[in-house]
Amino acid sequence: MMKTRNLLLLAIAGFVWSFEYGPALAADAAAGKELAEGCAGCHGADGVSQTPLTPSLAGEPDDFIQWQLVFFRGGTRKNEVMGPIAEALDNQQIRNLGAYYASLSPPKSQSASIADPLAQAGASLAVQHRCKSCHGEDFTGGGPAARLAGQREDVLLKALRDYKTGARVGTGVASMTDVTYELSDTDMQALAHYMATLR
Amino acid sequence: MRTRAVFAASAAVAVAAFLFASGARTEELKQYDSNNKQFWTHPPDDWFMGDETQELKGTNYLNTLPPATSFTKDEIEAKLKNIKLPAGFKIELYASGVSDARQMAWGDKGTLFVGSLFLAKGTVQAVVNEGGKTSIKTVISKGLRMPSGIAFRDGALYVADIDKIYKYDNAEANLDNLPAPQVVYDDMPPYVPHGWKYLTFDKDGWLYVALGPPCNICLPPTSTSQVRHINPANGTAEIVALGVRNSVGGDVDPRTGDYWFTENARDWLGQDTPGDKLNHVAKLGENFGYPHCHQGDIPDPKFAMGHKCSEFSPPALNLGAHMAPLGMKFYTGSQFPADYKNNIIVAEHGSWNRSKYQGGRLMRVTVDADGKNAKEVEFASGWIGADGKYLGRPNDVIVAKDGSLLVADDYNGAIYRISYSK
Repeated sequence: MMKTRNLLLLAIAGFVWSFEYGPALAADAAAGKELAEGCAGCHGADGVSQTPLTPSLAGEPDDFIQWQLVFFRGGTRKNEVMGPIAEALDNQQIRNLGAYYASLSPPKSQSASIADPLAQAGASLAVQHRCKSCHGEDFTGGGPAARLAGQREDVLLKALRDYKTGARVGTGVASMTDVTYELSDTDMQALAHYMATLR
Repeated sequence: MRTRAVFAASAAVAVAAFLFASGARTEELKQYDSNNKQFWTHPPDDWFMGDETQELKGTNYLNTLPPATSFTKDEIEAKLKNIKLPAGFKIELYASGVSDARQMAWGDKGTLFVGSLFLAKGTVQAVVNEGGKTSIKTVISKGLRMPSGIAFRDGALYVADIDKIYKYDNAEANLDNLPAPQVVYDDMPPYVPHGWKYLTFDKDGWLYVALGPPCNICLPPTSTSQVRHINPANGTAEIVALGVRNSVGGDVDPRTGDYWFTENARDWLGQDTPGDKLNHVAKLGENFGYPHCHQGDIPDPKFAMGHKCSEFSPPALNLGAHMAPLGMKFYTGSQFPADYKNNIIVAEHGSWNRSKYQGGRLMRVTVDADGKNAKEVEFASGWIGADGKYLGRPNDVIVAKDGSLLVADDYNGAIYRISYSK
């Protein structure tokens, strides 16, 4: 069953328009790499961010990267730095960036010690709130759902808080607004800590 | 309100107990814990997706979303080459860039209004056709939640929000600046899951609207799982059908005035069971069986609760599992061959809760006015590619003045036109 799921998600994450059906160009990771040189200042040379409140993009699902850029471009997701950058991107550039970042090795995180009570609390909250159902068995993401494992803790916490206040809206069916509706700030800290310290 | 919450909560305890008993493996499966009061003050917006099973684990509505960058006109036209139709019919792109296109409705002057569901974030769009050239206008850009259901009558546009029906007077003359709407009906539950609608006018100006349960399978809260007949002129309403799960398509039979509707069956019971349905309301207040009985002959493993399927109205036609029949219309035009007259064309959106997608096509149903002798054949197919991925997802149809048929596809953000010539 794991297999089926992963295949499905891969099929979506690695969405490349086939020549058989359309004249559009396939996503070009090499072109994406060139374009991404401009992103490295904040998101890190290899897509692993050392910048506070700025996410690592390495190993994020192709579709997730694309959706967020489209949200920034259309103004659904507001950020004064990313808004103008995304406005200048065309569809093909967005596809290329998705392909490039998805091809990079995800950040290595420090594994939390087994006795870490905050991570343990996060783990049980993750089960209670069904995080795996969209973010994958190992929280490596898939399709429009982000990779969470190993993401910066400050980024994860800000994302949860933004979903809760409505500052950010998710891709599908408002699931994230909904999940965070029931979470206290302590809960969100635990979840962010758990995901950030996952390998 | 209180009675309802307590009743529902006790049902939830039963579900939780069932899941608990079904073994340790279930802790890896997604499940909703409805066994607390907080759950019922705000059932999760994604509750319609339901509790996972091992067999179908990993299937998720999110997997069926289109790619973020959507599709260009050329890409969509290239995909249409894959669509198969009976001899003499052709399909062409009528309009692209209609983000998240759901139910369609014609204005009196030929404007095509189009509702939306999740991705277009609460907008209603209009396709304006000037001398064969179409352009898209966003006529409502904010303030609505999942406005999939729309209708048009006597110059006014009607739009269903989750718990309100709005009327925008003189809409076609004011596409760039719609007047503030009136609320014509608001006695509907606030649940997001299955809270999206489909609106159908009858000849007297009453609307048929189905209210889905907020879950995949549960004891439906009072005032859900039913079809109502609503007079928007004064807010009067009657219950037409009970025991209905999620219905996002229906039409009035031009032969009799009876209401027919599509219904999506519960998920997670298997790859090929139970079948989605086409129902015919022969008498007021008929019960179609949900949540006790599915497809007319499968008692629910948990929610049959002593009921027999024979207590309920069977479907006019079993449309097959996970096909997701949504919008439907009787063919009332005269362009198609004569034997299409009064046939039902059903748009099948296609599956998400199945390992291999199926559906994603239009079906042609022939059926007697009394509901007998129902048969279906494929009318338009090919929206699932050879690689098993969606190329498109038709979800509504509407007959045009010239007798051609328009099709809404929310995956491509497109409207197609199917026409016939000898």
